[in-house]
Order: sequence, then structure tokens, then C-alpha cells
Amino acid sequence: MIGRAKESATMRPQPGPSADLVRSLLALAETDAARIRRLLARARELRPAALGQAPPLDLLQGKTVATAFFEPSTRTRTSFALAAQRMGAAVADLSIGGSSLAKGESVRDTALTLQAMGVHAIVVRGKQSGIAQLVHDTVACTVINAGDGRHEHPTQGLLDLATIAEAFGRDDSFDLAGLRVAIVGDVVSSRVARSAIAGLTKLGASVVLVGPPRLAPKGLTCLRPPDAPDAATLAVEHDLDMVLPEMDAVMMLRIQFERHSSETPGHGNALPPERGQNKIGPIASVRAYREHCGLTAERAANMKPGAVVLHPGPMNRSVEIDSTVADSNAGPKSLILQQVAWGVAVRAAVLAEYMGA
Amino acid sequence: MTTLLITGGRVLDPASGFDQIADVAIADGRVVEIGPDLARQPAVRVIDATGMIVCPGLIDPHVHLREPGQEHKETIQTGSLAAIAGGFTTVCCMPNTTPAIDSPEIVRFIADRARAEARCRVFAVAAATRGRQGIEPTELRLLAKAGAVAFSDDGDVVASAGMMLGVMREIAPLGLCFMQHCQEPTLTRGATMHAGDVSTRLGLIGWPRVAEELIIERDVRLVAESGCRYHVQHLSSGGSVEIVRQARAAGLPVTAEASPHHLLLTHEAVAVGPASSRCENHRHLEDGTAKAHRLEASATSAHRLEAGATGYNTSAKMNPPLREQSDIDAIRAGVADGTITVLATDHAPHTPDEKAQPFEDAPFGIIGLETALPLYAEALVHSGAIDWPRLLALLTIEPARLCNLDRARKQNDGLGELFAGGPADITIIDPDAEWTIAEDTLAGKSVNTPFLGRTVRGRAVATIVGGEVVMERDRTVHALPSE
Repeated sequence: MIGRAKESATMRPQPGPSADLVRSLLALAETDAARIRRLLARARELRPAALGQAPPLDLLQGKTVATAFFEPSTRTRTSFALAAQRMGAAVADLSIGGSSLAKGESVRDTALTLQAMGVHAIVVRGKQSGIAQLVHDTVACTVINAGDGRHEHPTQGLLDLATIAEAFGRDDSFDLAGLRVAIVGDVVSSRVARSAIAGLTKLGASVVLVGPPRLAPKGLTCLRPPDAPDAATLAVEHDLDMVLPEMDAVMMLRIQFERHSSETPGHGNALPPERGQNKIGPIASVRAYREHCGLTAERAANMKPGAVVLHPGPMNRSVEIDSTVADSNAGPKSLILQQVAWGVAVRAAVLAEYMGA
Repeated sequence: MTTLLITGGRVLDPASGFDQIADVAIADGRVVEIGPDLARQPAVRVIDATGMIVCPGLIDPHVHLREPGQEHKETIQTGSLAAIAGGFTTVCCMPNTTPAIDSPEIVRFIADRARAEARCRVFAVAAATRGRQGIEPTELRLLAKAGAVAFSDDGDVVASAGMMLGVMREIAPLGLCFMQHCQEPTLTRGATMHAGDVSTRLGLIGWPRVAEELIIERDVRLVAESGCRYHVQHLSSGGSVEIVRQARAAGLPVTAEASPHHLLLTHEAVAVGPASSRCENHRHLEDGTAKAHRLEASATSAHRLEAGATGYNTSAKMNPPLREQSDIDAIRAGVADGTITVLATDHAPHTPDEKAQPFEDAPFGIIGLETALPLYAEALVHSGAIDWPRLLALLTIEPARLCNLDRARKQNDGLGELFAGGPADITIIDPDAEWTIAEDTLAGKSVNTPFLGRTVRGRAVATIVGGEVVMERDRTVHALPSE
């Protein structure tokens, strides 16, 4: 399988010298396996400096990275900022409240303004799918997608890959052939899932998407990238209890309260979960969601020996994951904090790679 | 004396079945005679139409002229320029203006503006409910008296079955048609494109076929109940074609229209990049830096295209959305077997800035008047589905009947038909003219079309409204010295 994956990567028509024109990371679905592996290897190499365990590097000395977050975020933005700083770059934060966006400026004008200020990369997040591509199409500098609507969150996908590869001793080859990974919960609204699906299958893992039909419709199997090796399958199941015992890793998703426009009273203003609340987006209740998608302590006990648990955060404890599972070091091992650590390393690698350092 | 003589063309009048090489003599804004060898008559002006098709002026029963209230996108004047550039002599404008065309005053305002500024005939389709809100009906009878040629809340469906039935009962005795924008709103909240693989990959909420089909199914029952003439606007789903086919077979007064984009493009057009319009949005940045970066951007896009690029092409965002090849095949088959009797562009101008927003924020709609004729020909005639006479029926007498503009209703002022004594609304078509759709070929105010860069065959070379040549392309029009 390893051979196959590499072969399919090298068989892909390569643009040759123009490859260095790939200046932006918008989606793992559009990133080939060879580049994904190169980014992961780079993350492994940069990790000590990225995490402040080694002196900062000067790879991005003299460069400025702007974080343009049109949608609230703390952890991803902080992670990018730390990664950029520890690689020697200056960081400019475009804060939502004080920005021109609040005055009705268009995304394009914001991007052009940042470009005119001389930034070398724009890290963009927004609630609209495709917003990172729009920024990429607007400016000439590097654009890194830090989450666009329901579409992709490629650095999250990369950190998931790094975490899983490390947990299973695959962090030399970054070949995940033979591993089976479940992605559980609100898959249809999840940009984290789309990036993970692309990355995992391109590196050879098989993925099972699990959730009730409205959150994990069968049509999601079209997300399997055409350049994934044949053995890396993508399936949709609705019964978590049936799937769990066979999985090497399970990625729990956060329920996307803010992304279910249909059947909720208003777009974007759905309330966070409370016990006894009757309706969560398309799901009847918290307990109904837990029945379909919750990684409870009882369910975790049915997982394979050596299996691991991931969650992109922020967690809704006691909704999609029980605290005893999230904080566990025994039984299925929780890798949630390892994910956070890999996040900084992966973002350092991504900035270095796409900014040409 | 004949003021205009069109000689040697293939005169094609679908209403009468006339189809032969002949001359057309025009005087005082009306057709005087159609027949061979009229060239012996003295004429002020002669147009040699040898090799051309000469037919009744094309009619588009579904356009958005944006006036009043959204004149930055289009006006009655600029929309009429787009119409005559495409060979259309009559257009019917939809009521989703600001304010909506929901009162007799606004219907008369449209007529006044059209008389003052339009280069073609413009008729108003009036809203069936106030403000197109679906809550209370408009003054339907007064609107009809003021000149509305049909009713529609286009842009929105009349969602309530109770309201729909009530409105249909009111409209039925007026003899006008209700045109439905078929979209069950509870199935399309937040939706921006066809529900399928592409929407799944792009992370966009899907607009499923069933949302369209459900409304048509419902309305067919309400038509049976009310007897109201009912027209399905811009159908996009193969399933809708079948529902209309069965309703017509059952003898119900149901018609349907198809639009150029639904006959030619699939949802994959949303994923194709780079969006040419988006590149063109850089036009105002014509300094070296912008050019260099555009070159780089397009090189990158070309690379990413190989790797399966995403796109988010807002020029392919319309409502109802582009669907799949099976839908295209079914809609073409529906045209071929007579289920779909009308073609309509849904001409929907938006500015480049509006279309340069993130896909989910950008407005729905594309322009169509200037490009429609060759696109219809490509989808329907060149593909072998129908011939030119049938295509022209779908563009002339059929929409005239739909909007009560035909000879049966208007006698000597009847449109969509060539007859001695009738209005000299005539389109001359070069069926073989090859041309490439580009921004400078567009006459209206906006350029939002996914067809930029497409090479097409067939073009209106002259458009005549009421005997006046309002559009002519140099190569085919020869003014001769008058007698």
C-alpha cells in the first residue's frame, strides 16, 4: 500500500517548476500526499522550537503574518500566532470588533488592505465556505485557511494526522495504511471532518463517518479524494456501538450549534446546550445526540486495546464526550492535548513551507 | 411606401407554420406583406437577409430589469439594450424590485419608463401578494387592468397553500397566468447550490430537487381545484419535467419554461475555477503589480485545477441551482416532447462587487438576454432535440400566448407572430455566426455570466421593433439609396 500511495502521488501530473507557485494552503482535498508528508516531516522537525522547548528560529525573520479571523476563535488564532513568532515572524492581528468589517467593508477590500500594508501571509478564518479561496484569489501573498465555513480546516487536519501518526509509531513514514479511524458526530457541518477525511485517506487510513442520518448522510462518501490509495476506504455508518470496537482511533466532533441554519430559530444564534433543552439544531435533545454520537465511558470501554481518542476542541463535555474519556490516560488514550501541541508545530511548518522559508 | 424591406431571408413564422425564402415589406411600423419578390416595390431601406432567418421578434417572459430601486444593477433602459442585442423585441419583467411591482401605480410606472426609455417592448409581471411577502394578496384585478401580463412572486414562492389557492381562484377569471418560483422554503434554508457531491465537497448547504418538485406537485392539485392557468418558472429538476408532463396529459392548464443555464451547465460549474468574472473584477487595478499578481494567480489556479480545484464560482450561483447531467437530459427531452413550451432567460443582473463576495453571501442570478439565442441553439438545435422552427416557437408565439400578448387576445397588435397588418417586431438571425461571449459583447449594465469565454454559434444580426431597426450588426445590414 505504501508503494501504491507513493506511486499515485508521483504519477499525478506534476507542474514541475511552477510547483513553487503553490503559495497558499486552502484545502487538504487539493493537497497531494507527497506534500502532506513533507509538511508533517517539517512539523516534526520544527516542533521543539514551535513549542518553546528549543530556541526560536529565524526562518521567517523579516516576514509578517496577519491573522484575519472573520469568525471568533481563540485557540487556532493563538496557535498560529505562537507558531509564527517562534519562527521569527511578526504577527499582525486583525481583531473582529475593531476592524472595518464591522463597518461593512468587504472581504476583498480587507484582504487588499492587508496586502497593501505589506504582510507576507494572511491566515484567514470565516463563517463562509470558500472565504479563504476568495482571499487567495484577491491577493498575491500566501493565504492559509484557518477554517472556512463548513468546508475545510487544513491545519487542523494536519495536526490530527501528526497526532495519529505519532500515537501509532508512523511518524517516520507518515504512512497510515491499515489504520481505521472513526469521525463521529456532526460530520456534515464540519470543516474539521472534511480536512481529516482528505488527509487520512490520502495517507492510507480508512475512515468511517458516524452520526445520525441528518448529521452523517450517506452522500458524504463522495468526500473520498480520487487520489487516495484504493485500500483507504470511506464509509458512513449510523450505529456508533457497532463501529467503535473496530477502530484504532476515534475523532469526536463538536456539535456545530452555529452552523445549523435549518430548523433552528435563527441562523447563528442557537444557544449552547443546556440540560433539558429540547432541541439542538437538527437533533431532538442532548440525550438524543449522546445516544447517537456521545463517546460515553461505557462506549469507550468497548474500544480496542491501544485505541486513541481525539477531539478538535472546544469540547462540549458531557454532550459529545464524557470527561472521564476526554481526560483519560488509561483505556483508550485521549490525545486531545497532544493535538494542541502538534497544532503549533504543524502551523509553524505550514507557514515556513508556503512562505518559502 | 414601404419603409423597410427585408429580402431573401428564410422567413420562419412558427405560429402559421410559414417557412420559406421570402421578402417582408414593412410600413408605418407594421408588416404590410410577406411573399416572394417584393423587391420590385420601392422601399426606403432594404436589408438583405440572404442566408439569414427572419422571424417574429423574440419574447422573453422572465427578466429582471431591477427598476425601480436597484438601478445600480440594471435599468429598464439598459435591460432593453441587452434585450435587443440578443434579438428580443419584448420582455416581461419580474416584480422583485424595490418596491415590488405590487400596485397598479407601479405597473403604470414601468409602462411609462418603458415608453420613455426602452428600446424594446416591456411588460410588467405583477406580484400576487403584497411586497411578495405571501401574507396578503395584491389588487389582482386592478393590476390586470393596469396592464400586468401575468402574476408571480418570483424570487420567492407563494409558500402557503391557502394563499396560493386563494390567489389562483382570483386570477382564474382574469384569464391571466400565475407563474410560480417553485421552492419549498423549509427545504432550502441557507441553501446556495444543488444538493449533491459538489455541495458536499465545498461545504455548502444543498438545495434539493424535491424542494422544487414538491411545490409543483402541490400546485398542480391547486390548479385542478381553481382552474387557474399556471406556469412553472425556470424548472431545474428532471422530476419537475415529469410532473408537468403528467399534468398536461391530464388536460390541466399547466406550462413550464427552461433557462439556458439549466439546459447546458451542471453544478460542477460552481467548482470550476478560476472564475473568469472574479479575475475580471481586478480590472480597476490595472497597474503592473495587479497584472503580475493576476498572472500568478491564474497560474496557481491552473495548477490547482489539475489537483481538483474548488472554485466557488459565484457566476454559477443561481436560483434554482444548476443540477446534474440527468436533469439537463430530462429538461431537453421535455422541450423535445412538448412538455416545456417556453424558454426564458431569468436575466438577473448583479454588479461585480456583489458577485465578488464569498459564495454564500453573493446574490443568486446571472444575466442572459445577450447570450440566450446561441445557447438555446447549442442545447436544443445543434444537439438534435428540436429544429429551428420549434426553437423559434418557444421564443415567440408560445411566450406571447403565455402572457396574453398573442393575436388571439390582441388582434392586430398581437405579438410573437408575423402577419400582414401586425406589428413589425422582427428578428433577423444568422444561424451560423460564430462568436465568443466576452464582456464587450454584453450590452446591459452587468456582466455576471458563467458563459464568458464560450464560443457559440448563432446570433441576432438585426432587431426590429415596431418597424424600427433598433439593433443591427454591420456585416449583414446594407442600407440602399432610397427611390
